[in-house]
Amino acid sequence: MTDNTQNGQENIYRPAIMNVVGKRDEAPGVKTLRLEFQDPVEHERFRQTYRTGMFGLYGIFGEGESTFCVASPETRKEYIECTFRQSGRVTSSLASAEVGDLVTYRGPYGNRFPIEEFYGKNLLFIAGGIALPPTRSVIWSCLDQRDKFGRVTIVYGARTVADLVYKHELEEWQNRSDIELVLTVDPGGESPDWQHRVGFVPSVLEEAAPSPDNCVAVLCGPPVMIKFTLISLGKLGFNEEHVYTTLENRMKCGVGKCGRCNVGSVYICKEGPVFTAAEVARMPAGDL
Amino acid sequence: MTKILLRDRLDDCITRWHAAGFEVIGPVSKNNISQFAAIEKADELDLGAILPGRTLKDLFFPQTEPMFRYRIGKQQIDTEEYLPPERQRIVFGARPCDASAMAIDDPLFGWDYKDSYWFRRRNETVIVTIACTAADEFCMCTSLKLAPDSTLGSDILLRPLEGNRGWLVEELSQRGSEALSRIEALLEKEAAKPLPPADVPVKFDLEACREWLQNPENFESHFWKEISMRCIGCGTCTFLCPTCHCFDFQDEGDTYTGIRRKNWDSCSFALFTMHTSGHNPRSTQSARWRQRIMHKFNYFPGKFSLNSCSGCGRCTRECPVDMGITETLQEITKLSK
Repeated sequence: MTDNTQNGQENIYRPAIMNVVGKRDEAPGVKTLRLEFQDPVEHERFRQTYRTGMFGLYGIFGEGESTFCVASPETRKEYIECTFRQSGRVTSSLASAEVGDLVTYRGPYGNRFPIEEFYGKNLLFIAGGIALPPTRSVIWSCLDQRDKFGRVTIVYGARTVADLVYKHELEEWQNRSDIELVLTVDPGGESPDWQHRVGFVPSVLEEAAPSPDNCVAVLCGPPVMIKFTLISLGKLGFNEEHVYTTLENRMKCGVGKCGRCNVGSVYICKEGPVFTAAEVARMPAGDL
Repeated sequence: MTKILLRDRLDDCITRWHAAGFEVIGPVSKNNISQFAAIEKADELDLGAILPGRTLKDLFFPQTEPMFRYRIGKQQIDTEEYLPPERQRIVFGARPCDASAMAIDDPLFGWDYKDSYWFRRRNETVIVTIACTAADEFCMCTSLKLAPDSTLGSDILLRPLEGNRGWLVEELSQRGSEALSRIEALLEKEAAKPLPPADVPVKFDLEACREWLQNPENFESHFWKEISMRCIGCGTCTFLCPTCHCFDFQDEGDTYTGIRRKNWDSCSFALFTMHTSGHNPRSTQSARWRQRIMHKFNYFPGKFSLNSCSGCGRCTRECPVDMGITETLQEITKLSK
């Protein structure tokens, strides 16, 4: 696990100022911002500390801060990408930020995916809807050093074709011979020209039947999808110790003080957001 | 020979401390609420109460405080920090439970990331505590393995002498010695016997409670619903708790300029954990009361080897529906037998 120390930051609640250098519409209400640090010292600090899996607090002064993962991988630290659904006050104002505007960022916080431990293994990525961003960060971290891993399988589903995010990257992955990409949409969510699967992620995963041998799974999605996908992974023979996921909870400080993100005794901001399914199973379900 | 501070020298002490650049703060009655505030003279002090209504945390972690001012321009955003002024302070007349609570929260605010707002104030404050010689039915420090004369968190401990004459002085820290050196000439040296500390009965079995709370089976126990049935979620117990540290950030201002503030928040409120999606991990009052008890007596001690409670009893004393930590832990003690 990474060292979460202060890195010489005097005021831990003071955010860095970021330039919006790119903006992309991903799906209805879902946008990606590409951000660059204004202050080279802050950027260097990020470069030294950021590892895939960590999160940040993105904000607009006057509106507040919201917590999302860093959707760009540790292999690309020149910028930060974040993908979010426009749903509350902060995300609405972030969504209205245009290239050239300024936003704030605090982080990177939390733990990371132990990617070195995945070396030499087959990788199975499973994501649902807006949860592709945290998965994508791991996907690119691995694809940027593709020769270190065995087979790579990506199973991604959304409610409708329109709700699939990172469509341009899905196309790129589709065209690569070293990735098996399985795309699906929920029944009724297909468009007339939809060429891929129709069905819920757990059953599509069972049909695709990736082998659990020497394989690590990364699973991110809405709680109901996680619940049923874990059952399917169990049926396929995956051990919960080899299934990684991320938990998300409401946060204000991001550094273990404001008191709201804990599940049982586990602070998501400090000890997470990356956990194995076995670790999640040990948490009190009534607090999730 | 022990050092004695006589009550009628208190005014001179305050004068000397002021002259040395210290701000002197003590329990005073203001707007009918006993609370900590800056004083000029000894007769402003209200030292008679069992415990001030408001806690010592107000001085280190105020209900609301500005963190920084922001000014948004086209090409830049300027932020100006409002760190607490570096001013030496002496708190005269804290109670051992309140002083302990500050030491309890130190590891939390310093856990890997240091909260400069908390530590600036901690580092510049000398806490002079008066041992309790009286307690009420809500006091429960002994149940928390503390005592009416605990020294945890204090820089100087004063033990009351008979006849309201003054206090026996115990130096506990370097900072305490420094503050005492300013009033050394005003102290008497005599062999004096202080009044015995208050008799505070033990109300529950802390170890048995912790064990019960640690048992995963009890997380979904019906007990939580029963014990919290009358909780109205007002948050009084959290705001008047000297160790409760939960907070929120809020921006005040217009589109271009404003202040980001750190405000008290409370685990009693439904919005505290509510996700934007509408999902709420702690959606019921019973889940929130369970969180409060679990946090104080299971999670916090698991991380920092300290209970997040110093036994001041304000949660029970001030609860509008007569609930509180005492009753809950008494019931858990019964359940664990």
